[in-house]
Amino acid sequence: MSAFLTYLLNGLAVGCAIALIASGLVAIHRVTGVVNFAQGTFAVVAGLCTSSLLGLGFPHGLSELAAVLAAAVAGLLTGLAAIGKRGTTPLSALIVTLGVGVLAYAVEIVLWGDQPRSAPGLAGSMIVAGARIQTQHLLVIGVTTATFVLLALFFGRTYLGKALTACASNPYAARVVGIDVRKMGLLAFALGGLLGGIAGVLVTPLRPISFDTDVTLIVNGFAAAVFGALTRPVVTLIGALLLGVAETMAAGYGYGSHQLEVALGLMLVVMIVQAGRRSVISLEST
Amino acid sequence: MIRLVAGLLIAAVTLALPSVLDESALPVYILLGLAAMVTVGVSLLMGYAGQVSLGQGAFYAIGAYTAALLALNGVPPLAGLIAAPVVAALSALVIGTPLLRLRGHHLAFATLAMQLILLSLAGQLEFTGGDIGLQAIPQFSVGSWEAEGATTYAYLTWAGVALVMLVTHNVITSRPGRALRALATSETAAASSGIPVGRYKLTVFALSAAFAGLAGGIYCFYTGYVAPGSFPVLMSIQYIVMAVVGGLGTTWGAVIGASAITLLLQGLNTLSSLPGMPTYAPSVFSYAVYALVLIVVVLFLPQGLLPAVTDRLVRRRREPSVRTR
Amino acid sequence: MIDVKDLVVSYGTATALDHLTLTVGRGEMVALLGPNGAGKSTLANTLAGLLKPTSGTVRSDGRVALIPEGRQLFPDLSVADNLALGGWRSGQRDPSLVYDLLPRLAELAGRRAGVLSGGEQQMVAFGRAMMSRPDVLVVDELSLGLAPTVTADLAAHLTALNSEQGLTVLLIEQNARLAFELCRRAYVLESGRLVTEGECAVLADDPRVASAYLGGAIT
Repeated sequence: MSAFLTYLLNGLAVGCAIALIASGLVAIHRVTGVVNFAQGTFAVVAGLCTSSLLGLGFPHGLSELAAVLAAAVAGLLTGLAAIGKRGTTPLSALIVTLGVGVLAYAVEIVLWGDQPRSAPGLAGSMIVAGARIQTQHLLVIGVTTATFVLLALFFGRTYLGKALTACASNPYAARVVGIDVRKMGLLAFALGGLLGGIAGVLVTPLRPISFDTDVTLIVNGFAAAVFGALTRPVVTLIGALLLGVAETMAAGYGYGSHQLEVALGLMLVVMIVQAGRRSVISLEST
Repeated sequence: MIRLVAGLLIAAVTLALPSVLDESALPVYILLGLAAMVTVGVSLLMGYAGQVSLGQGAFYAIGAYTAALLALNGVPPLAGLIAAPVVAALSALVIGTPLLRLRGHHLAFATLAMQLILLSLAGQLEFTGGDIGLQAIPQFSVGSWEAEGATTYAYLTWAGVALVMLVTHNVITSRPGRALRALATSETAAASSGIPVGRYKLTVFALSAAFAGLAGGIYCFYTGYVAPGSFPVLMSIQYIVMAVVGGLGTTWGAVIGASAITLLLQGLNTLSSLPGMPTYAPSVFSYAVYALVLIVVVLFLPQGLLPAVTDRLVRRRREPSVRTR
Repeated sequence: MIDVKDLVVSYGTATALDHLTLTVGRGEMVALLGPNGAGKSTLANTLAGLLKPTSGTVRSDGRVALIPEGRQLFPDLSVADNLALGGWRSGQRDPSLVYDLLPRLAELAGRRAGVLSGGEQQMVAFGRAMMSRPDVLVVDELSLGLAPTVTADLAAHLTALNSEQGLTVLLIEQNARLAFELCRRAYVLESGRLVTEGECAVLADDPRVASAYLGGAIT
């Protein structure tokens, strides 16, 4: 039973990291219609930055903050490439973000080499309800919760957040009232970078990160985002947590080698079911 | 007339090259041909069915494993080579039936997922040799004749390229092919004009998989070795880069795109092996080339390199006649 | 004031507006009639700065607000948020400005815009446009899909704003009866070209206009 609880909490921590990546995907997709393939890259950039900054002797807190900001800048640059040019279709933009992700490989290898790097996080572990859990896992859950609360406040309460929602809700109307939809798209990309960066900073102490970790991250993030049809943040969060717990349970009870297949298989099933439902709807409406 | 002469000239050069190229250039020539074969399919899929596949490497792998497993179990290599595209196409039909209900980025991720699952399975299953893969695959042979040396594989590869191009040409110029062109621009319009969109898309998907499977089959006999590591995700991205560079939906463009990228990478490879270059130079160069070429072409030459160049040539040729009017 | 000279707007090879010239004087309320596809909405979007002229000029003094065809609200946001975003250009974020003008909106403030009736949505679109404190208002299809009583209510507000506050209005309408009732002057647009223009009273007697715009089932 305590093993179950340990796996559950570990799984929630993994799910939180996936949720951060996925919510970045959703934020960008809602505002711009683009699926950002470089979303996992932001986490990698932040993770590698933290490990370097800490290695150089910068204190905790500052290092992580700087790394997250670096990821936000990476997000902004990705946005400039993907939607900076007028008339780029969402599918072309997806291919461009794919290119950005590969370009990041080149930059990351030059700066950090091709070996995985780690960073020290919160050491030690605690006993929660009879289950041993690493303190870093609790930190991941705590920071993610705080991030989601702030996100909800940002989108629900601030003028800028509402303008972003407006762009997602009706881009033409947003232009009618004078909102620069492209600038808002860039803002969404920067926000996506920020969220990916937080995920990277949180995850690096748990599992070493290397330049090509982004594929696993983006695939998991996309799988979670697909639960919410790439537009619904809350469903995405739930999907991410489910995914994290399912993967950790699979690994914990001895099916570790099939972790990725579980996630990917689940993603395919959800997408195909959704597509089936969509085509029924479109048939009914015609 | 000019086209015929150009075609014959290109055929002659293609046929002459294997006997002229030295031992270091021949492998490049073979890999170029294999890449071209896959790219023709990717270009067809993207240009005519309007779909992005991030998992074309999976069909390459299926072809390679099929041919390797058959050959290792005593089946004549020729039968293995024929089975490679057939099994790849059949897999595409089975996978594609549910997958092709997806569009755009959903399909892109689904095909990527497909490749990741396949690689992971190949790395774990016993009969595929796990992570180590399959080794000591016999040489390609037909009856008592056995392929020896890279020259034979170069001819085999480019015969494959010719076959793939011929098939693609026939598909494009057929009546369904012209219907497919409509499909790429607007699926709804195509569907409402009575084109069986789903069936055509699946056919093109299977055809592109067959091309990749054929390339994989030749590859396994040529290298004598296949493993999950031979088919990274980047391989699938590489075919997209080549297809996009050449111009989507153009048979020749795909070959030119594959050639341009392969030769560019080869040149950079030579450069990066110069003394004083860091050890990571080759991989950094190749990532940077894929990325920059992909981004620049998608944003600034959306038609691809070949159409952009021919357009300019045609315009230049027309300009004087405008003036004389 | 709106001053359109020799305006051409093309989408690729298709020409939506073909050398169009029209003016709306300061404080004037002018109607623009025309069938579907005449280029009316293209003109509205060009006046609002959402489309670039291919050639020719579009001038207006002060801020232009657009009530777009089909209301075009933000369905996921509340009425109050829709209004607040209307003030994006003017910096006016407090919707109480338009609650004085259209008291019904204060009652709807907390509702999601997507669930409102057509008439209520049009009123929100109206209020949202007014949040930018415009000098010129372009109304694209005020009456489309609305019950006559609702249209009359909105039209009354529009007339009041025009006569009391001197708001310049270009009223783009398919409903010629309504347009002739509200405006003194009108332009008639067909296939991107101006067919005729003049006093509404004169136009109403023009047999071409009468048969095309007043003879049908339009009420």
